[in-house]
Amino acid sequence: MSIIHINNITKTYHDTEVPVHAVNGINLTFEKGEFAAIVGPSGCGKTTLMNMIGGLEQPTSGNVVVDESILSELSSNQLIDFRLKNIGFVFQAFNLIPVLTAKENVEFIMQLQNWDKKEMEERTLGLLKSVGLGDKINSKPNQLSGGQQQRIAVARALASKPKFILADEPTANLDSVATKQLLEIMEKLNREEHMTFIFSTHDQRVMDKAKRVITLDDGKVISDVMKD
Amino acid sequence: MIILTKIAWRSIWRSKLRSSVVIFAIASGLLGGLFSSAWMNGMAMQRVKNTFAFEIGHVQMHHPDYSENMDVKKTIVDTRKKISALSSTEGVKSVTQRLRITGMAATANKNTGVNIIGVDPVTEKAVFELYQRIDSASGNFFESNAKNQIVISKALANELNAKLKSKIVLTFQDFNGEITGAAFKVVGLYKTDNNPWDKMHVFVKNDDLRSVLEVPDDQSHEIVMLLDDYEQAGALAVLLQTRNPGTKVEGWAEISPYLSLMSGYMDTMMGLFMAIILGALGFGIVNTMLMVVLERTRELGMLMAIGMTKKRIFIMIMLETIFLALVGGIIGEILSVLCIAHFGRTGIDLSSVAEGMEAVGYSANTYPMLEGYRYVQITLLVVITGILASVYPALKALKLHPAEAIRSN
Repeated sequence: MSIIHINNITKTYHDTEVPVHAVNGINLTFEKGEFAAIVGPSGCGKTTLMNMIGGLEQPTSGNVVVDESILSELSSNQLIDFRLKNIGFVFQAFNLIPVLTAKENVEFIMQLQNWDKKEMEERTLGLLKSVGLGDKINSKPNQLSGGQQQRIAVARALASKPKFILADEPTANLDSVATKQLLEIMEKLNREEHMTFIFSTHDQRVMDKAKRVITLDDGKVISDVMKD
Repeated sequence: MIILTKIAWRSIWRSKLRSSVVIFAIASGLLGGLFSSAWMNGMAMQRVKNTFAFEIGHVQMHHPDYSENMDVKKTIVDTRKKISALSSTEGVKSVTQRLRITGMAATANKNTGVNIIGVDPVTEKAVFELYQRIDSASGNFFESNAKNQIVISKALANELNAKLKSKIVLTFQDFNGEITGAAFKVVGLYKTDNNPWDKMHVFVKNDDLRSVLEVPDDQSHEIVMLLDDYEQAGALAVLLQTRNPGTKVEGWAEISPYLSLMSGYMDTMMGLFMAIILGALGFGIVNTMLMVVLERTRELGMLMAIGMTKKRIFIMIMLETIFLALVGGIIGEILSVLCIAHFGRTGIDLSSVAEGMEAVGYSANTYPMLEGYRYVQITLLVVITGILASVYPALKALKLHPAEAIRSN
């Protein structure tokens, strides 16, 4: 079942004297349960594409359709609400809220969605256990390693049961052990909960684990390989 | 909302040094503002209370034309009946009657113009506290039954070269328009905090003055009342006026407009003081919060990206600003309460400039005081300052573009 349709999108920046065509006519479709990596050299348009899939940026032309919602037709407030309910984000720099504990960080999105307290606590503890941090619920981000912080970020992204998770260079700041652990957790969530993951990455280890690798260059898809 | 409150509160303590500096600035600003306001207020209140206690009481009754030129013939009639009715009026604590004329006070080689006040020593003490301003070495307030006693101020005694037991001759116009006079023996020397007033007022016994003035019995120039609550003076004066036609009843604010003006002036001064202080603090808070927004650009971008609405971002920054202002405000208020309570008890001694203070009617020993409701007002003003100071930084935050903000360093 397709959950994301990317229809001939382009993105041109006019911030400089010469317009920059960051994304140049991309068509893609993502099915539920995919574990896909978007790869390519720096400046190839990975992050811009990810931002447009996540509704953080609007395409210059074309559109992104998630389920039946055309993102470019949503207002700013509708987009915020859409992201809250449908997309889980994992960022390169972890981006946890530093003044909240691991548990509070995971609960944060559920609180924004006014979850029932008991249900929220059960899900939070379950998610923290599933990412191997059941014993760190009261730790603040600065008391955790980079790998642990990124695992909390994954738990936070999963908290409100989004339709898919966008992970922008999730392993860029991690060592090999932490990268391995993170990938195993995400693979397990993909396998067991059928959660859709879309990564942008430079990391060969992520590419190796991905079931689909989409390669970009100069804002275009130059290959889209589905592994067995 | 709970999570936003939690983030806002904890965020204050992320940069402890910076927040402490802002909190210290707010606290010390408030301490300075509140304490100086309390000091001015204390001085003003003392001046008001002294005026009540020594000079005018709370409510006065006169002949309607008496105040024009203090004509000796403009008396209130049936004073006994009136005093009896006034004494039983609710809210009236005590009542006294006075004869009051202008005349000359002279010693062997000096003379000066004075207000001569004829008092009933017993009822006078129930209304006025002047008798407490005669120290044991300076005589008394008509304690003996001897005739023709006079109580004058130390300042006037100094001017007339008089002392206790000195003879002072008072000359004035009697009830029939004739110039008359009598010699009085100084039995008491008083001193209030109002030097010019002291020099202008001498006190003799009502009976002594009445016989020289030839004012008929049961008539007086003024009836003065002390109330349970001085703030009721205006309302009570209106009531008594309707009950006593043919007289003029005035509350202290009408008798001495300067006092009510001073009260309003103090309110204005304090408002201005606090506006300047809170305004300056507001700009400091704006500056700090702008730095906060700048430092947390990536975090704010992340919050927007994962689904935090602009309204919630705005509320979060506003809460953080209000908390910062409130912490400083509450510390400043606690310090102010302690300082004002301490100096309100011990007083602030300005005896080195006593002469100058007393020349304009103020005590050299002042007791700072601030009414409780002022602290509530200030707390609300601090919150309002916090809200106003948060608007600009919060709007800055709302202008962030999440995709760009997340990539910022």
